[in-house]
Amino acid sequence: MSAAAAASVELIELPAAAWHDRVSSVLAGGARFLALYADDGARPVRITVALRDGTHTIILRTRAIDAEIPSIVDLVPAAEWDEREAHDLAGVRFAGHTPLRPLVAHPPATADWTTPVIGEDVHQVAVGPIHAGIIESGHFRFHVVGERILHLDLRLFYNHRGLEDAAIGTAPETALLLAQRACAACAVSNTVAFAQAYETSLGGAPDTALRRTRTLLLELERLYNHLNDIGAVCAGIGFAPGAVAFAGLKERAQRINAALTGHRFLFGSVALGSSALAVDGRQAAEMRARIGEIGRDAATMWREIDRNGSVRDRLGGAGVLSFEDAERLGTCGPAGRASGVAHDVRAQSPLLWYPDFAAARPNDPAGDVAARVEMRARELAACCAILEELLHAPIAPGQIAVIGPATDLGIGVVESPRGQTVVLLEHDRGQVQRMHLRTGSYANWPSLAAATTDAILPDFPLINKSFELCYACADR
Amino acid sequence: MFVLLRHLAKVRRSAALERGAPRSVAIRHVDAGSCNGCEHELGAATNPYYDLQRLGLSLTASPRHADVLLVTGPVTTRMRDALLIAYHAMPEPRLVAALGDCALGCGILGDPDQLSGPLEKILPISIRIPGCPPTPEAIAAHLIAGLDATRRARNAPVPG
Repeated sequence: MSAAAAASVELIELPAAAWHDRVSSVLAGGARFLALYADDGARPVRITVALRDGTHTIILRTRAIDAEIPSIVDLVPAAEWDEREAHDLAGVRFAGHTPLRPLVAHPPATADWTTPVIGEDVHQVAVGPIHAGIIESGHFRFHVVGERILHLDLRLFYNHRGLEDAAIGTAPETALLLAQRACAACAVSNTVAFAQAYETSLGGAPDTALRRTRTLLLELERLYNHLNDIGAVCAGIGFAPGAVAFAGLKERAQRINAALTGHRFLFGSVALGSSALAVDGRQAAEMRARIGEIGRDAATMWREIDRNGSVRDRLGGAGVLSFEDAERLGTCGPAGRASGVAHDVRAQSPLLWYPDFAAARPNDPAGDVAARVEMRARELAACCAILEELLHAPIAPGQIAVIGPATDLGIGVVESPRGQTVVLLEHDRGQVQRMHLRTGSYANWPSLAAATTDAILPDFPLINKSFELCYACADR
Repeated sequence: MFVLLRHLAKVRRSAALERGAPRSVAIRHVDAGSCNGCEHELGAATNPYYDLQRLGLSLTASPRHADVLLVTGPVTTRMRDALLIAYHAMPEPRLVAALGDCALGCGILGDPDQLSGPLEKILPISIRIPGCPPTPEAIAAHLIAGLDATRRARNAPVPG
């Protein structure tokens, strides 16, 4: 497929009365939900939904008369958070989405945002926003009987910095920095998605060098994240030898990031329209050797963890997310694949360099903590193989070639370490009108709550670590 | 298991870290709107390549056990109250350390309507750790230097 075909975006404006039926017919044609957002800048409020069929994106847009339109959560349960956010930030009411509980807004009364759970011996356990370890801020409210979790209400957005509002009126280069700083651990994913959105709107397509460089950066980000996540699950069950081994491996990966780009989190490595990163043959060979060693050590360490009886007992069967729930909730990334949802954006990424890519699958897609951790181990091997292939040759500066007409609306979609990350970007004469960032973490938080149902409270930290979702890029 | 432990011993030998002067400082971390970069690096400071604990610095789960409140992020409106509760739960004497450029008020991040910061306006900062994010070495070095300077100031004879 050509890069031009990948950039195809179709914008359809329609009346609010046709909203629900049109979304329904596009989904019936096989499209997947990408994102939904609202703008209160103009009246009546404007609502946009992005759907994707293969690599063709269909963007539907309407205006909510009297700030109300029909909800689409009956068609797309994955849009639940998007609609709640649009309500809190832009005042849109979604008819049929009841109750429309606050998500970004933080009303003081608990009953205003939690699910009523009633019955004999039911009580609530509140955790956060400050947690015991070095963890981002967020509040969990468990409804339990004894140790059994009946339901989990999540309250995030403690780290809401208003980054999307801050982007309005800035130059695209400034908005790129905001997308990057939304989340350190997803900095490359967020900025590559942003760059794709901007460049495709200008009718541009990356040359081979730029595609290879961005793929290198994305896989370097995946490498240190997946190493981190395996260590985090070991820490979650108090298996210190595994936690320390993988913390050390992550450190080695981040030192490679610093050697190649000057930054341990690869900040500043993605630019709009070009890439200046140049790695000569000698340094590429050295980095390739170091990545190979990390891959071999990680495989050895993982075998020791996987063969440890007490670890297996702890991880197996904990926090099950069924295939049906994962499909319904739009679970993406390693967590989705662990439940049998085969989707991986890398399989359809003509703007990047993934020849013959096949998504990794677990031995048994049981959707439990064991399967989610196993996915990280399997993807690590694939990730190292991709990096080694890319570092076989020097890394050269790359750029965009203009191949199509320019518009004021673009979309970028990449597979981050946690799943599908989407950026929608509207701009006019060098100024950003709207930037919307929907990351894999945002997509997967409701799945974490679903996986927690019926688990015991002491397993929650472990289940949470097996998803290892970012709070910062969900909160923005 | 023994493969993992042998690997750890090898890492520790190759890191060849020296022990610092005896010290006992408990640190409570609070994320007040960080991008998670400072959290990753603070976590890394406890890995076997840096081993913050060998310097007598430990991270504690409760502010009631903490000597230092280590704050990251530009202080969002939604984290302001939780941050103040954590600070007021700490025994005195207590110190506040600002970790990273956002906490130091030089970040580019955010819509002013969503931020209560900078931290300087809310709590008295004694230790400043710049960087975006600061490296694990920088975190350790600034904490040690800041703690030593505070101790010297406290022990200095009162002039006049």
